[in-house]
Amino acid sequence: MLKTFAALLLGKSIFFLSRLLGLGGGFAAPGFYALKIDPDLVNKLASQIPKQVIITGTNGKTTTSAMLAHMYRDHNQKVIRNQTGSNLERGIASTLIKHSSFFGSIREQVAVWEIDEAAFNNLAPKIKPDLIVFLNVFRDQLDRYGEVDSIIKKWIETIMKLPEKTQLLINGDDGSLEPLEKAGKKTESFSVHKNDFKGEKKSSSSKNSRFKTVNVKANALEGTGFIFQLDNCKLPVSLQLPGDYNIYNASAALAAKFLLGDLRNSEAESLKNFKATFGRFENFESANKRGSIFLIKNPVGATQVLQTVLPHITSKDTLLLALNDNLADGRDVSWIWDIELEKFKISNFKSQIFTAGSRAFDLALRLKYAGIAENRIEIIPGLESAFDKSLAKTSGRLFILPTYTALMKLQKIMVKKGIRKEYWKE
Amino acid sequence: MKLIIGYLYGDLMNIYGDTGNIICLKKRCEWRGIEVEVKNISVGDKLKPRGFDMYFFGGGQDQAQTQVAGDLTESGKGKVVREEVERGVPMLSICGGYQLLGKFYQPFEGKKLDGVGIFPAYTKASNDRMIGNIVIKPSAFSLQLSAKNKYAADSRQLIADSYLVGFENHSGKTFLENGAKPLGKVIKGSGNNSEDGTEGCIYKNAIGCYMHGSLLPKNPQLADWLIQKALEIKYEKKVKLKPLGDELENKAHDFAVKEFS
Repeated sequence: MLKTFAALLLGKSIFFLSRLLGLGGGFAAPGFYALKIDPDLVNKLASQIPKQVIITGTNGKTTTSAMLAHMYRDHNQKVIRNQTGSNLERGIASTLIKHSSFFGSIREQVAVWEIDEAAFNNLAPKIKPDLIVFLNVFRDQLDRYGEVDSIIKKWIETIMKLPEKTQLLINGDDGSLEPLEKAGKKTESFSVHKNDFKGEKKSSSSKNSRFKTVNVKANALEGTGFIFQLDNCKLPVSLQLPGDYNIYNASAALAAKFLLGDLRNSEAESLKNFKATFGRFENFESANKRGSIFLIKNPVGATQVLQTVLPHITSKDTLLLALNDNLADGRDVSWIWDIELEKFKISNFKSQIFTAGSRAFDLALRLKYAGIAENRIEIIPGLESAFDKSLAKTSGRLFILPTYTALMKLQKIMVKKGIRKEYWKE
Repeated sequence: MKLIIGYLYGDLMNIYGDTGNIICLKKRCEWRGIEVEVKNISVGDKLKPRGFDMYFFGGGQDQAQTQVAGDLTESGKGKVVREEVERGVPMLSICGGYQLLGKFYQPFEGKKLDGVGIFPAYTKASNDRMIGNIVIKPSAFSLQLSAKNKYAADSRQLIADSYLVGFENHSGKTFLENGAKPLGKVIKGSGNNSEDGTEGCIYKNAIGCYMHGSLLPKNPQLADWLIQKALEIKYEKKVKLKPLGDELENKAHDFAVKEFS
């Protein structure tokens, strides 16, 4: 207990000092040092939170977590949620330290943890969640996460070590997740009727899902509507987000809330007001011009984004694609060749396309080989000048598709230009 | 003219954008009015001699690789591919595909997987992850070897023209046996095994290497070398490919070489 107290004191002091001295950043530091004093800190602090859910998978973690937290907050329930990107143990520890009192007590009743495929195996046993949501699993940064089969194998080993109370919620349309049903825990699944979900493996069980999403309707880029079905109940939902992938995210969030025993009729109202987290379909205006940002991270996600936006891009619009190869983007950019550009028949694409980022040339080459005329492609590696030129060029809307670190840089550029007021916080 | 490209286990062995190589070969043929057909060759399929004018064999996940290793022997495909390579049919194999075309692959656990034996090389699992951008200088060795082929004389220059650039990501270490010709010398990166400074292997018109990237779009000279070889072997005559406006390709290539080496 003394150890925990000392760890907390240190963690909180680091938080306090870094704020006082305006050091900024370094969200992981308090957790990092506190864990050196008490390595069991996460377990000790988290165990007092009555309801904890882990959300993991390749795509959709941030949006699903944000939706779930948003629904809780709409009912005036305080929620602990980790920042995107700080999903290592130190980040989780920092989050817990921030929400705990000096004596280690936490008032929040619910914690929503967004945890990536690899960190899951270390953290789930420490958090001991009531529910784990598995959204999907695709090959992504194999050097970091490993291959799909080995990810699943490790997940099963981890799940088997978890307490009896832990329930699983899996995407029933993703066949790769099916083996998780054999991990010995109570498991439910959700699925989307209509789905053109293309997983690594075909699913055999999506018809048996308890949570079914039906009557899916897309309203161009403005949003989507669907009916969330569970047993004999139907909940009509509309989202201000485009893209089939967001229907999966919303279905997962609703099913999770039900399994946590908290689903209410008013969730539909709540989701209607949900705004995307930064960079996941964010609209902006500058000098009377409109733009939209869609983060791209991997071939499956990028293909889904393109599938959503391409049909609505006219010759008046411009497109800015930004590809960086920093660690957080993945050093290997060969994934752009796995984006299924060929299936979109974009050879008669009339908009001007700008490519930017440290690998702007690779991106331009990818577009050329997808059949886009070279005179439609302009390479401007510097993101700021690419942003300026593509915005100046558009007489419609500017669509920006950046990778992660390009998105972060874009945010700085937009704040500097006064387009965004402040930095993105979650 | 028409080329039929056999994509060996394209459904199982296709990681790290290796499909980009197929996209590149296809486009560079189409832009020259050469008809192209790409056929996937999968587990259980039979392979006949003279059925394909070029082969491509990419990398795969561990489980797929074990399955494919078995099928190459059981279905007799390995033997046919080996004979076709002897005949001069060009082939590009990368990472897992390259490993399976050597003599054997020795995993950490379990018995070794027999390879097809096209390349005088073998691969051993290691604990090192060799990952990052890679730049190589195609070796004179590989060029002399290709020059022995009666059609190869004037394509020597093409492959020597510049460095090759890609991205490697492997833990298997490949060692060339005596007399084996590396594809090139490592300028930046690990290459075959991070020990002897070699990368890849070339035997007749078959190339094996660790270069993803995708490899061919940024190294169009190599794509054209493969296309030219394929046409020459198929039509039994010297072929000169129509030059393409490769401004963008060259920019991407030069930028990457400069940036990484």
